[in-house]
Amino acid sequence: MRLPLRKALVIAWKDILSESRTRDILSSVGVFALLIIVIFNFAFEPGSDNVELVAPGVLWATITFAGVLGLGRSFVFEKEKGCLEGLLLCPVDRDVVYLGKMLGSLAFMLAVEIIVVPIFLILFDLPLFLPQLALITLLATVGFVSVGTLFSALAVNTRARDVMLPILFFPIVAPVIIAAMKASGLALERESWSAMSSWLQIMGVFDAIFIVISALVFEFVVEE
Amino acid sequence: MSRILLGISFGLMMAALYLVFIYVPTEGTMGVVQRIFYFHVPVAWVSFLAFFVVFIGSILFLWKRDEKWDMLARSSAEIGILFTSLVLITGPIWAKPAWGVWWTWDARLTTTLIMWVIYVSYLMVRSFAVEESRGARFAAVVGIFGFVDIPITAVAITLWRTQHPRPVIFEGGLAPSMLLTLIVCVAAFTLLYIYLMLQAISLKQAEADLGKISQALRG
Amino acid sequence: MENSGYFFAAFAVVWAVLFAYVVLLVRRQVRLKQEIEALKGMLKEKSLPDQ
Repeated sequence: MRLPLRKALVIAWKDILSESRTRDILSSVGVFALLIIVIFNFAFEPGSDNVELVAPGVLWATITFAGVLGLGRSFVFEKEKGCLEGLLLCPVDRDVVYLGKMLGSLAFMLAVEIIVVPIFLILFDLPLFLPQLALITLLATVGFVSVGTLFSALAVNTRARDVMLPILFFPIVAPVIIAAMKASGLALERESWSAMSSWLQIMGVFDAIFIVISALVFEFVVEE
Repeated sequence: MSRILLGISFGLMMAALYLVFIYVPTEGTMGVVQRIFYFHVPVAWVSFLAFFVVFIGSILFLWKRDEKWDMLARSSAEIGILFTSLVLITGPIWAKPAWGVWWTWDARLTTTLIMWVIYVSYLMVRSFAVEESRGARFAAVVGIFGFVDIPITAVAITLWRTQHPRPVIFEGGLAPSMLLTLIVCVAAFTLLYIYLMLQAISLKQAEADLGKISQALRG
Repeated sequence: MENSGYFFAAFAVVWAVLFAYVVLLVRRQVRLKQEIEALKGMLKEKSLPDQ
């Protein structure tokens, strides 16, 4: 049973390696995220009194939009270079391919968030060392990536692929966005773990369910 | 068979109309407008039923690869979007006189809006796909994801909204006469859904058959 | 009857939307019949030379 996980990690590592060589998507998505934060700053003008109200929304809207951009790119590249066909020719189960792609995207998104979230906290003058926020971000990102990897593979085979991915993706991950926003708000106010437990549970349940469903359904999406 | 269905459906609709317009007493706080409830709720229930059918049809299509499941799912999605649109239209029409606002981001309305978008994307994926057969498979995926997502979304939004005050649909229980009216309306709209489904599916089936015959003849 | 305008509007919308869908189905059926007629014509042409 260890072997499938190993194969998935190989696939993920291939993606991580190719991205770390060029750092294309990482830099462009990172800069894009920062620009979104700046625009939101103009939109909401968070003064010191309403920062806690506005900040969670700004953070998660930013991660959502930048994340969709990054996720969209991951399969476009595969399609253009024919890598996906090559990958599918390997004697690997389709759900392992999904897992590998998902872990690769997860690593990518976490890399972006490790840079963007602290910068966001600094720009909005918010407390920096919040383990709760780290867990929230992790759970939410897993949720995004589980659904995003599947829909990205799907959208790449459609006509208006840049727009198709958000249209499919946003409604499905809406509960994750909501939970992440509310939990982040509580975390920024330094509430206890128990106060945000129901939000964490929602994200956990979402992640578990949708990783399983996405893995099961992936083969139908990529087959010719 | 479908003639009988049409007959029963029509009869129930007539009965429902009588009950809603004449029989049921006017509700105390909201007045005549409250009667919209007797259309709004059954239509909402039927739209959930429709999307459940899309879910089952999508699973069966991916599993058995038989076109007829795809036709079932697609027809149900179309009618489901129709009924959901009706919910989203009759809701605000009721809300404006009852609560004073056209729209409020309360749990039910927001979840319904998201549900509407998901099933519109179900149809969009079909037309945006490169080939029709892949489009059908993609749509089935959306049909499955969408239906599983709805309960989770509803829970998240409800939890979100309980932290804000919200307008109440209406207080108190349902008088027996109201309950009767509601049940008859639910039955009437459900039968209407089934009848429309039968028509839509047989139409799609005929179009598909015709396409094959036409190809055979011209080819 | 206050607010009866709204009540009418809701009812009219429901009726109009359902009616529009039925009209849509009927139109598609008409198109289907036309296609059948066209194919019948083609069939006649194809079978005549064989006789």
